[in-house]
Amino acid sequence: MTAALTALPTAFEAVKVDYAAVGPMLVVVAAALIGVLVEAFAPRLLRHTIQVVLTLTALVVAFVVLVLVSVDHHGVTVGGSIVIDGPALFMQGSLLIFAVLGILTMSERFGGRSADAFTPMGAATPGSPAEAAADRAGYATSEAFPLTMFAVFGMLMFVSANDLITMFVALEVLSLPLYVLTGLARRRRLLSQEASLKYFLLGAFSSAFFLFGAALLYGYAGSSDLSKIASAITTANGDLEGLLLPGVVLTLVGLLFKIGAVPFHSWTPDAYQGAPSPVTGFMAAATKLAAFGAILRLAYVGLEASRLEWRLGVAAIAVLTMVVGAVLSVTQTDIKRLLAYSSVAHAGFILVGVLAFDRTGVSGVMFYLVAYGLATIAAFAIVALVRSGGSEATHLSQWAGLGRKHPVLAGIFALLLLAFAGIPLTSGFTAKFAAFAPAIAHGGLAGVVMVVVGVLASAVTAFVYFRLIVLMYFTEPTGDDVAALTPSIASTIAITVGALGTVILGIVPGPILDLAGRVSQFIQ
Amino acid sequence: MSNPYVPILFLLALGFVFAAGSVFTSLVVGPKRYNRAKSEPYECGIQPSPRAEGGGRVPIKYFLTAMLFIIFDIESVFLYPFAVAFDQLGLFALVEMVMFIITVFVAYAYVWKRGGLEWD
Amino acid sequence: MSTLLSLHEAAGTFSESALHGIQTLAAEGKDNPRADFSDTPWWLSLVKALIIFVYLLVSTLMVIWFERRVIGRMQQRPGPNRNGPFGLLQTLADGMKAMLKEDNTPAKADRFVFTLAPLITATMCFIGFAIIPLAGEVSMFGHRTPFQLADSPIAVLFVLAIAGIGIYGVVLAGWSSGSPYPLMGGLRSSAQMISYEIAMGLSLVAVFLYSGSMSTSQIVGSQGSVWYIVPAFFSFFVYVITMVGETNRLPFDLAEGEGELTGGFHTEYGSMRFAMFFLGEYINMFTVAALATTMFLGGWQAPPGIAAINDGMFNEGWWGLLWFTIKLWMFMFVFVWLRGSLPRTRYDQFMRFGWKFLIPATLGWVVLVAFFRGAQNGWFGDAALEIAGRRFPVSSLAIVGLVAVGALAFGWWWDNRAMAREAAANETAPEEIDPYAGGFVVPPLPGQRLRETARVGAPALPEADPVTERPSGPAVFDFTDKEAPRG
Repeated sequence: MTAALTALPTAFEAVKVDYAAVGPMLVVVAAALIGVLVEAFAPRLLRHTIQVVLTLTALVVAFVVLVLVSVDHHGVTVGGSIVIDGPALFMQGSLLIFAVLGILTMSERFGGRSADAFTPMGAATPGSPAEAAADRAGYATSEAFPLTMFAVFGMLMFVSANDLITMFVALEVLSLPLYVLTGLARRRRLLSQEASLKYFLLGAFSSAFFLFGAALLYGYAGSSDLSKIASAITTANGDLEGLLLPGVVLTLVGLLFKIGAVPFHSWTPDAYQGAPSPVTGFMAAATKLAAFGAILRLAYVGLEASRLEWRLGVAAIAVLTMVVGAVLSVTQTDIKRLLAYSSVAHAGFILVGVLAFDRTGVSGVMFYLVAYGLATIAAFAIVALVRSGGSEATHLSQWAGLGRKHPVLAGIFALLLLAFAGIPLTSGFTAKFAAFAPAIAHGGLAGVVMVVVGVLASAVTAFVYFRLIVLMYFTEPTGDDVAALTPSIASTIAITVGALGTVILGIVPGPILDLAGRVSQFIQ
Repeated sequence: MSNPYVPILFLLALGFVFAAGSVFTSLVVGPKRYNRAKSEPYECGIQPSPRAEGGGRVPIKYFLTAMLFIIFDIESVFLYPFAVAFDQLGLFALVEMVMFIITVFVAYAYVWKRGGLEWD
Repeated sequence: MSTLLSLHEAAGTFSESALHGIQTLAAEGKDNPRADFSDTPWWLSLVKALIIFVYLLVSTLMVIWFERRVIGRMQQRPGPNRNGPFGLLQTLADGMKAMLKEDNTPAKADRFVFTLAPLITATMCFIGFAIIPLAGEVSMFGHRTPFQLADSPIAVLFVLAIAGIGIYGVVLAGWSSGSPYPLMGGLRSSAQMISYEIAMGLSLVAVFLYSGSMSTSQIVGSQGSVWYIVPAFFSFFVYVITMVGETNRLPFDLAEGEGELTGGFHTEYGSMRFAMFFLGEYINMFTVAALATTMFLGGWQAPPGIAAINDGMFNEGWWGLLWFTIKLWMFMFVFVWLRGSLPRTRYDQFMRFGWKFLIPATLGWVVLVAFFRGAQNGWFGDAALEIAGRRFPVSSLAIVGLVAVGALAFGWWWDNRAMAREAAANETAPEEIDPYAGGFVVPPLPGQRLRETARVGAPALPEADPVTERPSGPAVFDFTDKEAPRG
């Protein structure tokens, strides 16, 4: 017995890697590593510029590689741990676009020497002389850019992970940099550190849940490969049936945490509020997309055969998420917390599309994620511009009368709010339609119930957004010195792209909907 | 003897019995003369300095060392199976391992240049 | 079971067909069987455990006497010579005395952990020795058994793991004493041990590359033709340094540092609990030395000349114990020699050496050895040169050449930098100095003149004292020469 075991590893075969298929990921991780070296060796004054140029170039190159090369290399690669198929490519492409927009907003300097959103020295005690000295000496945490790139790498891997181990590694690679980024806000340091710690602790819990569930599924199927789990479910003789449902539930808990579904949402408002606003925007758009990509793959490739056992539970979570997200957003007085609860509600809306279990559901979800992500990045970029006494004016009362002082900015923000509310002619409407229609068509009674709740919840959130618009345009400004800073070209591009995307996806959604529909087939 | 770790337990038991036995014996046969000064922290004969509850704070330097230790210890543990199976793994694994070492070296260079390896 | 067997067969056929070429090239280490414990009943294991235990205790008693005698000789005094012949029983007498002392527990200590810590140290130090082969196969009570308590495919990793647990003893002792010196000593000591453990672990990788195994018996077996100290000389060099660091011995005994920490983590300990730390330290010395013997010096095998006598007569059975013990005590002498001749290093120098030299250098060395092995296996082409009857692959010669060029280039760069630094340091001081430059009074160096200032006691920096009345007009203030570069 021992002899047999020790003799086994004599055979080794190198895994086949389709470098063209994973090219975008390699470009991104290489740029991240070079970014770390830049932090180590480049002179302090040049770092910001080098980092921004490097990350943007790498992201664009990765996108070009994705569009020109990887699209022709569908298939399972890297020893079965990565799968490049239609949904993976679509979501990787969207992630890269989000990352470009996110980096553009993060690079905002407002005429200073380093990125305005990030603290000069994360390790210094908030408000201490060391912090002030670090600021004077021109310190800057331009590590934020390589960290973002590592997170992007994790996300790219997350949406294309074909087995649970890779998925877990990707989950960690995308989460850890985000925990750090959350704690790097330049202003309100204590809030930021608290947010970072909360996010980290709860995230570590959810990772543990995911890992435990993955272990149970491995015990059930004898493999962590999603397609092998799928075939194990269809051919199982019932011996290990007790492992399946707990495994499914625990892995889904881990993933639902990342999208901020109720009751795993409690980190969302704190982390969104404490993180630097550009990071919040990136996190809200990209993390949500990546996590939904993983949920889609897990649900559609791995666990579809057992869906009758867990679908209703997830449907209940979706309903709860929509209701809680919508109702709690009514009571918020802080703009970032409001957007956080709105993102919780949106997670519920998207879950409705996921539970359709049809190709149209996949395309609807992907379209929703793109529409929501573009609007969110732009919205948080605008939040970062509105200042009072140097720091962000996030209390709702401070936004009163903003439309009179800054009509263009407030106009764009109002447009984005309309999109969040799902008003026709904005991307929000088409997105909600794309996500809800499959649920009615293929979701049965549960689908109809979810859509009804979804529409009601949308109405509630719409009230919140309209109240904010009224506040901006039809309320007298308070005596505060609230003013919007003039964005640099980078932020302007990000906001413009977000707003234009919102309009275009609302008026002519056809091309993107078609594309999402064409690529919505997973490789089993 | 199928399990190679059972004999190690024998040695473990011997060692523990010896250590615990000696300590216990000395407790029994040794003298006991109470003196308040003897139970104070030893600080070269002067009055002990007051100390924060729970041991006070430990310099952050040690935590940093511990984290760096984890990174590099994991690296060396990854190198072990690679080294043992080197001949069977072939050129592919050699190239992969060089890539891996380079990746860790990037982090090492960062820590070095940012002063993480300095003791002041 | 049957599936395992079929898997085994499948793997076997696969390896025969696909890996045949590589296997013929593979190191001789592959063919060395692991120690065979099939003829070892459980009671024999117990006997062997007892023998190893006694061997270690006796060795400890001996080495403390040995250390004191040798250091005595080095310092031109006799050392302990009263108890027993040549003072051999001195350690035993010290041990008995320790046992009869009061075992005091400080009031602020955490009583349970305070007792647990020495027990961890004293227990864990023994079991590292379990996988060390003290000799080859011997007859014992009618059974043929390897003179080694246990062996496993990850034996060396096991020793390192046990060494890691041993650190707990030190940390817990320092923490539980409830006193500043032990706390600092415990922290320092643990930081020191983990720092040097990395380099130690990395240095062993080169040996695994050559032996293709982590089992100690196989590693000894594969050193039949040449001891690994020759091909892995740099690893040996690093290992010896780190083993001194790991055991907290001079010149690296910073954890105890009597001058600064009065004794480090065991300041508050006395009597037998202190003796347990003492015992642990010495047995750890034996363990790391035994590992060095096993990994680099051929373990229990006879030295090359003697091994050839009479068809390997001295290379079998109980003779192994003799060679092993001799090699072990060579290391013990080195430990004592170092202690007798070197002063303690400074803590920052010690850590800098470990982190900035040992780790990167050892990693580079591992990569180099890996490429050498690859060249030997013919992965970079089959071309080879015949020199003095031995085949040298061209690629490995190329690697040697590249490394030599790289080393030369690095040396040149390093020298240039050192020269530039020296030039910067030796810049001759100006002949005349302004004693008030920079705002502080600076005394002149030998050979320097003080510059006469306008008014004695007035600040030399004009901007430092703007309100003081001065003779107006630049011509008055701009007296002699270079006034600008100050400050």
